Amino acid sequence: MTVADNLFENLKLELRRGCLTLAVLAQLRQEHYGYTLRKALASRGMEIDESTLYPLLRRLESQGLLASEWREEDKRNKRFYRLSTDGEAIFARLLEEWIAINSSIAKIL
Amino acid sequence: MELLDRYLLAVRKHLRWQRQDDIIAELRANLESQLEEKEAALGRPLTQGEAEDWLRELGPPIQVAARYSPQQYLIGPTFFPTYWYVLRMALGWSLAIYAVVSAAIIAAQMLHAGVAADHISQTVADLIAQAIARAPGILISVAAWVTGVFAGLEFATARGLVKLPPIPGMCRDWNPNELPRMEESQSTHGKKPRSYAMAVGEVVFGIFLLTWLLLVPYHPYLLMGPGAAYLESLPYRLAPVWWTFYWWIVALNLVQLGWRFIDLARGTWQGPRTVQNIVSGAMGLIPLVVLLTARDHVYVVLKDRFANQLPVGMSLHEINLWAFRGMLVILVISGLNLLAEIGKAGWGSYRNRVVSGR
Repeated sequence: MTVADNLFENLKLELRRGCLTLAVLAQLRQEHYGYTLRKALASRGMEIDESTLYPLLRRLESQGLLASEWREEDKRNKRFYRLSTDGEAIFARLLEEWIAINSSIAKIL
Repeated sequence: MELLDRYLLAVRKHLRWQRQDDIIAELRANLESQLEEKEAALGRPLTQGEAEDWLRELGPPIQVAARYSPQQYLIGPTFFPTYWYVLRMALGWSLAIYAVVSAAIIAAQMLHAGVAADHISQTVADLIAQAIARAPGILISVAAWVTGVFAGLEFATARGLVKLPPIPGMCRDWNPNELPRMEESQSTHGKKPRSYAMAVGEVVFGIFLLTWLLLVPYHPYLLMGPGAAYLESLPYRLAPVWWTFYWWIVALNLVQLGWRFIDLARGTWQGPRTVQNIVSGAMGLIPLVVLLTARDHVYVVLKDRFANQLPVGMSLHEINLWAFRGMLVILVISGLNLLAEIGKAGWGSYRNRVVSGR
């Protein structure tokens, strides 16, 4: 990998980091467990590694943005996540921010 | 699947024990769902090779576990600039102190051992080579201590175990009016003004230095390293005048530290330190004068006056004489430095007056 490729990858990672959180919060307006959430995001073009998504869910939950519960489904215990009340409020604000940034970038471009 | 069980076991080993069961149960459910779907799509179980490829894609167990840890760095962006500055200062000073102490130990060894004239250069070269070989160990140890202290601070503050008092200029309710004035920042005559991290670093390093200084009399190893044991075995020891010298040095460091802290608190760290430098320089002369005016210029005395007088009496006299001459040279150099500093300040002030009068 060249220096330019490396730089691009790092910048892409930085750019994606905030977007991933927003995408996860948006998707969790409906309840999901880790694997189905990943599939749902991927089906809409937002691919996320398992090793990024699952710890992110934990972190968002510890920050109070998600609520979770263990439940049995298909004879297997799974942890289901959804947006908490605080999460909904934060998500609404983040979405506004995202729309504003998007519109600014569109004007700049 | 045995390979998945082994993988999860390996991840588990790197997780914090309080969360191991919960995280592994969740990870297992997610990965088993994924595996089921893969196998359903293929219409058969994964082969060993396919399972290995799949797990390889998930990432090494240690990295997967690390993503669950709340802190991914030893020293974060808040402390890093200060840490980096303190580390450089500490390494530079330790090297300088180590060089001086090594030179003193080598001189003491030569005098005590009474090396024959034709072997002196060889012996000195050997001793210097030994001292150089020990230097990396000392520097690594200093770096480890500084890193350890800052990593501890990062750990404690990140978890709310310790709440640091608000550092001026760093908290959210900082006051723009306390920013250094333009004329202060510009009067460093083209020199790059001290950054905030550097100013904090100077205070932190000053605290380290003062702590170290206060510990040295009780733990000579901190100054001499392994040489402390050797000096202990010598028949002579330092004269009481060194205590007066020592307390002056402590006082000097205390004044400098206080001054730097006040600069930081008032937001004037970027300004010139002309007065501070002159006062510090003048204060620095006092401990030297204390030593030079010691009665009969005695700096080193025999531990046992009667038993050791004959074998080392001659060396002792030489040590005291050379110590006196050395200190005299240092006093002259320091005095000239001080005069140069005063001259520079006077010239700067005169030039500013002339320029502003035009």
